[in-house]
Amino acid sequence: MDVTHEVIRVLEDVLSLKGRSTSFSRETPLLGAVPELDSMAVVSLLTTLEERFGIVIDDGDINGETFRTVGTLVDFVNEQLATSA
Amino acid sequence: MTLEAFFLPVGTPRGGRRYCLFHKPASAARACVLYVHPFAEEMNKSRRMAALMARQFAADGVAVLQMDLHGCGDSSGDFGDASWHDWVDDVLVGCTWLRERTGARPWLWGLRSGCLLAAEAARRLSHTGLHVDLLWWAPIASGKAALQHFLRLKSAGELLAGSASRGSVDALRERLAAGESIEVGGYRLSSALASGLEQASLASAAGDRRLASWDVGSGHAASPAVQRVLAQWQIAGAQCRSGVVEGPAFWQTTEVEEAPNLIAASRETVAEAVTA
Repeated sequence: MDVTHEVIRVLEDVLSLKGRSTSFSRETPLLGAVPELDSMAVVSLLTTLEERFGIVIDDGDINGETFRTVGTLVDFVNEQLATSA
Repeated sequence: MTLEAFFLPVGTPRGGRRYCLFHKPASAARACVLYVHPFAEEMNKSRRMAALMARQFAADGVAVLQMDLHGCGDSSGDFGDASWHDWVDDVLVGCTWLRERTGARPWLWGLRSGCLLAAEAARRLSHTGLHVDLLWWAPIASGKAALQHFLRLKSAGELLAGSASRGSVDALRERLAAGESIEVGGYRLSSALASGLEQASLASAAGDRRLASWDVGSGHAASPAVQRVLAQWQIAGAQCRSGVVEGPAFWQTTEVEEAPNLIAASRETVAEAVTA
């Protein structure tokens, strides 16, 4: 499974980006840069990531860094996958 | 087909009036459906899809009642005073109204946390010998998970404001357990609603019925948690089917979106039952 690809797909679906995610890379900034990313969207992202990857996210593990860029979010998912494996 | 909007008085302990929309087919109803909505922001985001589905059902000859539960939408009462048990009572009131009006056995059509309410109402009705059919849209497998998602809105808000602190969801749970209300995303969540929601489940009820569970997304099968639940219902006598159709998670997307495949699958589900 290509985690980066899947994460970008989740961002596209949940944030209704209308194809803007095709230009996303690991360096793309999220929090503060993508206007669609409000608190409801953060919750939807977490929920969708849990369902898509079959992980259980402990809210205590989440901080501002988690959503800083596409890359930090992918790293976060990889860590969660490693601990739940 | 016609649309009737009215307030339905409820004789439950909570009392009050519930705002209802009745989608009435042009000829005698072949079947009837009660929509059980999710709550808070998910209810708002899914209004369009609920309306599209209800209109389609009515065009197919299936009567639909959309009822705003206590403290939601245009119904009387304040969201902060609503409890899970009141909502289950409301669903039962809606069911009775539909049966009297159409003479048909109702389907309970739930979306997200509405599936938990529909399951609980079905269990209550089973005790009286009435086995309603169930149509679930993207069910949440447990009330515990539903509450967790809702409380996250608060910690996510703090996260965006840069004031996130470890364990804030746990702190909210403690306040609810102590009987306090908390405010999340503009909604006052009472301790009574939180505790009822937390205990809610999709657990089965005995009886011969149909149960269809549809999800949207790019997967091919219902989540393992929902599959386990469906297996229980099957043992309890239900004819189950489930599937995933391509489409957006419209109850949570930033823009209001439509999932036509979900409407098509649901039409087919109810139509099959009518012709069977």
